[in-house]
Formats: sequence, C-alpha cells, structure tokens
Amino acid sequence: MTTDQPNVVHRFSSPFDVETASGAEGWEQMYPYYFHFSEENKEWEDGMLWYQDGVHHPEVLYPFDTITHECWRTALGQNNSRIFAIPPAYGIEQRIVNGYLYIAAVPVSSEQRMQERVEVFVRRAGDYYANWDQIFDQWKAKMVDLIGKLEELEVPQLSRLDIEEIVTERRGISSGWKLVEAYNAVIENMFTAWQYHFEMLNIGYAAFLNLFMFCKQAFPGIKDELIAQMVAGSELLFFRPDDELKRLAQLGIDLGIADKLRVSRKPEDILEDLRHDPAAEKWIESLDEIWHPWFYFSNGAGFYHHHRSWIDDLTVPWTALTGYIDRLERGENLARPKQAILDRRERLTSEYRELLPNDEDRKVFDENIKLARLVAPYIEDHNFYVEHWHHTVWWNKIREFGDRLVEGGFLEDREDMFFMNRWEVGQAFADMVASWASGGPSGGQKIWKKKVADRKRIFDALHNWTPLPALGPVPEEITEPFTVMLWGITTERVRIWLGLGEAVGENEIQGVPASPGIAEGRARVVLNSSDIGTIEQGEILVCPITAPSWGPVFSKVQAAVSDIGGMMSHAAIVSREYGLPAVVGTGTGTRRIKTGDMVRVDGNTGLVTILPKSS
Amino acid sequence: MEYILPLEDCHSHFAELVGGKAMGLGSLLRQELPVPAGFAVSTHAYREFVEVTGLDRAIEMNLRHADSLEQQRRASERIRSLFDESELPKSFVLELTDAYEQLGHKGMAPVAVRSSSVSEDAADASFAGEHDTYLWIEGSEAVAKNVLRCWSSLFTPQALSYFQQFGLRAGETAMGVVVQTMVAAEAAGVMITIDPLSGDRSQISIEGSCGLGLAVVGGEVTPDRYFVDKVTLDIRSRMISPKSIAYRFDSMAGEVRRFDVPEDEQLKPCLTEQEVIAIATLGKQVERSLGAAQDIEWALGQGANGSRDVYLLQTRPETVWSKKKASPLATSQTSIMDRLVGNMSVPMRIV
Repeated sequence: MTTDQPNVVHRFSSPFDVETASGAEGWEQMYPYYFHFSEENKEWEDGMLWYQDGVHHPEVLYPFDTITHECWRTALGQNNSRIFAIPPAYGIEQRIVNGYLYIAAVPVSSEQRMQERVEVFVRRAGDYYANWDQIFDQWKAKMVDLIGKLEELEVPQLSRLDIEEIVTERRGISSGWKLVEAYNAVIENMFTAWQYHFEMLNIGYAAFLNLFMFCKQAFPGIKDELIAQMVAGSELLFFRPDDELKRLAQLGIDLGIADKLRVSRKPEDILEDLRHDPAAEKWIESLDEIWHPWFYFSNGAGFYHHHRSWIDDLTVPWTALTGYIDRLERGENLARPKQAILDRRERLTSEYRELLPNDEDRKVFDENIKLARLVAPYIEDHNFYVEHWHHTVWWNKIREFGDRLVEGGFLEDREDMFFMNRWEVGQAFADMVASWASGGPSGGQKIWKKKVADRKRIFDALHNWTPLPALGPVPEEITEPFTVMLWGITTERVRIWLGLGEAVGENEIQGVPASPGIAEGRARVVLNSSDIGTIEQGEILVCPITAPSWGPVFSKVQAAVSDIGGMMSHAAIVSREYGLPAVVGTGTGTRRIKTGDMVRVDGNTGLVTILPKSS
Repeated sequence: MEYILPLEDCHSHFAELVGGKAMGLGSLLRQELPVPAGFAVSTHAYREFVEVTGLDRAIEMNLRHADSLEQQRRASERIRSLFDESELPKSFVLELTDAYEQLGHKGMAPVAVRSSSVSEDAADASFAGEHDTYLWIEGSEAVAKNVLRCWSSLFTPQALSYFQQFGLRAGETAMGVVVQTMVAAEAAGVMITIDPLSGDRSQISIEGSCGLGLAVVGGEVTPDRYFVDKVTLDIRSRMISPKSIAYRFDSMAGEVRRFDVPEDEQLKPCLTEQEVIAIATLGKQVERSLGAAQDIEWALGQGANGSRDVYLLQTRPETVWSKKKASPLATSQTSIMDRLVGNMSVPMRIV
C-alpha cells in the first residue's frame, strides 16, 4: 500500500541497489529477518528516506548488540504512535545495510488521523506534564528496582550431576531450566529498561521543541545552544562521577597518600595495595561509598558490549583522579562554576524575555520556559539510569551467559557470544540445556564455533565499508518533530549529503556549532574510549562521538570535534558546561584530521580548519 | 535665546531648538558614552539669520509652486545661492568663533560640521542623507562658512521632495547644526540594534569599512558585516567583503579624499573581533538608555594612549521595524498544549 507520495525532488540511491561490502558476503544471516530490506516490503521501503543513525549507532553492529536499537524501535515508537499519540509522527523504522543501522521516520500521513490524535495527545501528555515531578520520582524507583532485580539474577552453572539443593529444597526445577529462565529474564529486563527510557522522553522533547520553535520565531538569529542554556540545570547526574573524583583527589591529598595514588602501576593493583594500607583506610572507605552507582559509568554511550565502564577498567577515572591531584597541588580550583551557570541561565532568560515586543509574547515565553525546565531533569538524567547504571550491570550479567556457553563447549571465548544475535543465543541455550538433560550429543558445539569464526571475517570486511549517509527519495519537507532534535537531521545536513551544501575549502570541515568560542591547538584523534588516556593537556579532542563519562577529558582538552551529534548531543552539552568550543556532526572529522595536526575550531560557526604545518 | 549650546544640554524638550542629531548626541553624552567633543548651533541662530537678511520671504516666494521635481531643483538652486551671498550677523560669528576655539588645537581643531534638522522627528522619518555634512573643517572662518552651507542644505532638491512627501512646509522648518571634533577614523560605519532584514530584536547588525564612514553611508563600498547577539554579545556571523576604496584626510590637499585600496588589503577585516564586540556593547547600552532600537554611526579613531577607540557620531531611532506593530507570535489565550501540537506539526523543508 502506498500513501500519498510527497513531492520528491532529490533521491539518494535505493536501498535495494546497495552492493554487499566486498568480502562480507553472507552478512545478512547475522541479523534477524525484520532488519532486512525485503521484496515483500519493497514498495513501502523504496518510498522512504533512510539515513544512517550516526548519532546512536555509528559502528558496524555486533549481532548481539542489535538488542539496544531493537529495544528503542519498540519503545520510542509505541510512545509516539500508540500511547501519547504525537499528532504528526509515528515511530522510527530500522533496517540494516552492510552491518550499519538505517532509520526512517514514519509519518502520520492523513490529516484526519492527525486531528484524531490531537485530542488524545492533549489529554495524555497533559496528564504527565501536570504530574511530572511525581512521575519522575516513581520512574527512578522503578529503575532502581529493575537494576536490583538484574543484579540478583543468578546464571547457574551446569554440572554433570545437578546440585543437592534441587532435592533438599524440593525445587522441582533444574539448574538447566533456571539457566533458560534466566536468559529469558535478562532479555526481558533490557526491554523493560528501554520501555522506561522512553516513558517520558518523547513528550519531554515535545516540551523542549515547543520552546525552541517559539524562540526561533521571536529571534530568528538566535543560536540553538543559547535556547538550551536557558533551560539547562547545573546539577546533571553526568557530572556527579567527575565531581566525586575531584573530592577523592582532595581527600587523597588531605590524607597524605597522593603519591601512593600516583605511582605508575595498574590502578587495580594500586587499589589492592591501598586496601591493606592503614593510611588509606578512610580513602578506601570513601571510594567504596561512591562506587555504587557513580563508577557504573560507561566510557561510551552504553549501547554496545564494548562500551566498558569505570568499574570494568579504572584507567579513565584513575587518569582523571591523578590529574586532579596534580592540579589541586598546583593550587587550581576544580569546582565547577555551578552558580555562574545558574546566573547565566537567569540572565539569558530575562534578557531575551525583555527583548520580546509585547506582554502577550512574554507570557507565552514564560509558560514555554517553565514547561521546558520542568522536563529538563528527565531529559538530562535518564541516560545515567538506563545507559550507564543499568547497562553497566547488564553487559556484565550478559557475559556470565557467555561463560556458560564456553563451559558448554559452544564457544571459545565469552566475548564470542556477541557475534550471535539474541535469538541465536536463546536457541543455543535451548540446545545446550536439552542435550545436558538428555545426555545426547549437541550439534551446537560445532555449529556456533564455526559460525563465529566466519562472522569475525565478515565483520572485518564490513568495517572497511563506508556507509552512505542516506538512502531513498528526499521529500520536499519532513513533518517529524524529533528528527531534528535527536538526530540533527536538518535541511542543511541533507543538502550537504546531497552535495548541494555550501562548498567549504580543502582544509575545512563544516559541522554544527555546538558550543561557542574559538580555539587552536594540536589535534588528538581518539577513535575509542580505551584511548582516552593518551590525551594530553591543551589538545583538541577529535572523536567519532563522545559519551558523558568522557567528562574528565573535557577538563584537559581546549576544544572538541565530533563526527556525529546535534545540539543536544553529549559532546555539545558537556562542552558548554566546561566552556569549551565544540563542533559536532562534522561527518568526516576523524578521517580527515590526524593526531598532531594543528587545527582551529570555531564553535560559533561550526567550521574546523586544518592549519598549514609550520616549520 | 542662545545661538550656541553645549551638546550635553541638548535635551529632547529642546527639539525645536537644536534638531534631531544634536538631541541624539546630547542623550549619548549624558550617558557618558564616547562622543567627540563639540557644540550645537541652535535653530534660533538660523531663524534670526533668515529674518534679518530677509531670506525668509525670499524662500517662501521661491517655494511657491515648486511642486514638480524640476521646479524643486530650480528653487533649490536659487535659494542656496541666496544663502551663499548673505553675510552672517557679527554677534553670531563671535559666539561661534568663541565656542569653536574652545575645542583646542590653537583655534585650528579639525571638525565635522553636520546638519541637525528639526524635521526628522516631525516626520518620524530618518531624513538620512537629505542634508549636508562637511568633514575636516579647520579654522573659525571655514567653520562659519560651513554652518551657512548646512543651513542652506535644508533646501537641497532631495530634501524639498522629502518635505513634500511627508506634508511638511519647508519654509516653516529650521536647521540646527552640530560642530564636533573630527575623528580620524581608521574604520567607521553604522550599526542597527536589530536585524534590519528579519526584525530580530536579539541581534545587533554592524557594517563597517576602512577610513571615514562616508563610504559606508554613501553606499560606495560593500562593507564588512557582523551580526552580534545582543544578549551574549557573541558574534553570530560575519561577512568580509573586498573594500576597494576608503575616504581619508589628505594632508597635502588639506581635504578629505577618496583613496583606492591596494588589492591585497581589500579583504582585510576592518575590525578585530574585540572591536566588533566593543561597538555592539555600546549599541546595546544606547538602546537600553534610549528605550528603543537605534540606528547609530560609529568610528574607530585614535584614543588617548594610541589605542583604537570607538566613538559614537550619531544615533537616531530605528524607523522601519519600530513603527510596525508587532502582533503576538502566539496568543496566550491558547493553551500551551495547543501550541505544543502546532509546533510539532510545522514541517521541516528539505530542499
């Protein structure tokens, strides 16, 4: 069935014409059928504009890790489409091409349907806005409860003879079946976390959007980040882990153990020594107190199994900690200027308000600001609960299932499980547990090891493919309120992809201005979070995407450039908080800039210039 | 009645006595904003002059039936030559000389002699460029001569047709004059404390070029343009243009002259970023103290210790957007939920 075709003026290549990446033949079998462009849906799929989700899923997808976008496909969609009835928008569809995620916004195409939805939206979203703080409190309790359940989840080992307790406690259920149940539970737990993730997010963004649109109408030239600054709070959870490190740095100095913390050994070993050191007792106590949850902080977005957290690898927090000790000893003040941020927020708000031409507009502005500030804490903090705290626990729990597959002879290494998708892992457990029960042979032992080896080869081939930014026809206009805010898909962006954008010079890269100011310095290209220890004071960070836990890095660098991201992306928010110039959404920054290049970052215009090498 | 008034005394209740330009400068000085030293010649001096010389009757006769452009051109010519032939009253010349000599430089201070018409406010129109300004005038005799020329510029052909368009009677109006120490501008231009294109009140728009402001005001160069956020005073965007000519004082010729700018210097920005911000900061201050959007002329000249300092040469109310009645963007009668729905449904244009 086709809906009214909007006026199509330009066209990227059809998803059906994209050739398989060289050497990656067979990549399709890694992912569930519903992520494939198919002959059955061809007519509909060929009529949609698809763009690569570089904001949330910029990398080749590990089969198992597709669970995160599968989670948000349902959770985001249902809240737009079925629950809050966002009038012009259904959800976001997903497909995978050569291992990369492509997404398309599904519009509500009939005017009549849109009208029907207005009344439902007003009632339901209105109810949430009216009770926002209370609902958010309940939301936090639900998340903490969900994380608790996850931590308690047992992933039993299988032994030749099952444990005695099955009999003495009259359980009636074997460890084998418990394992199958646990796998089902861990998958459900992830989906539930994402159900919560979007419970308040879509309508939260709607409130933000309302303020943005008003300000853009009243002040056509106003920079997006200034509107964001009128709303942003100063107590984001994202800054809490970093603040705790600063406190620990000070405590280390006060207790006279600064040098013990700074010895050049693995942080885990230093910590082990300190646990037996009476002089460090108070410090260790203090660390243990904040460990949970502030060290459950991902070095990435939390979306992938390889986005490890502080608790998994102490390199990142330790580098920051010792850096803070050095700076405190030099007499620097490390406190974030919280009051200054709040003062600026109030000054901006009242000055723009004053510039409005009449009282009527001021009244509307006040209402819009009030609603946007009401939803802001949720927008800012939900990630910490879901992608950081919950996912840190979840990815570690998942690895226990990998261990079971290794023990059952299905895999060589626990990490190999990520080359299987979630359904395949379920099948493997069904097979493993059944053959454990029957005592018969399991084919899975040979099948999965071979498949994993094959997929590692495919995976490498996919890495060498450069994803096209978009596929399919470009309509004249898009009525999708969240695409711009969440994915930074603006008119200019699409024009640049189409080659219609303003040409920039050979040594220039155009991105989105995300935090004002201009800086020049030496570039440090950091492709993944395990390399952030290499960054030196005063360098300019160039990265594919930044995550909130890179916070400590921002006190070292003097500007940031990212391949992907929009005005509300993490890099943008954190840079503004630290007062650093930032340009996001450059597309090619990490490919065109090399570590050691001198670059100029203009956070006002979004232009990044690679400067000529001086002798 | 006085012939001469200190600029800082030019209050708005003296509008009829000193004209718009002097009033604007007076308000800037009372805010302690940087304005070059100077004084105002009152319309009383003008009125007495045309009465004593009988020019008032001659003007009226000449303006009768001056309805077509051609008639206005001829009337202008006749009236202006009558001014040239007339003598200034002795008592006035004495006072003028005294005021001028107080500007220092041993009685040879280079000054700008600028028209300050009383019609600007009467018409609620800018009258920009309708009357004359004379730059780099030195010596009391030359100043007196140029005050007379300013007076007669009340009757330029373009002013006459402007009067007619706004229904004013030229014979009844009068001209004030401002005499101000010359700023040897290294860069100069204008600024409007809104975006003149969109009416955006959160923007200050600055245009500037090298040398004296003549080139910008007269539209002889495409100036560098800077857009500054009025609240944060951050530069929103800038456009640097090739500036092929500049007006400067030619000390050999003893007059202001148009110079060609060498090609390799044309694309050099006329302002540093700090200067842009300093100019915008002044603009914001002026708008705040005068309570309305302003159209301001500025110049960057030598400061006390050799620095490049900003001077304000003129301010007048912005007349285009300020006159428009801004209808509310969204009425607060609608609920915020309705507005939310409306804002979500605005399509994003792709191409």
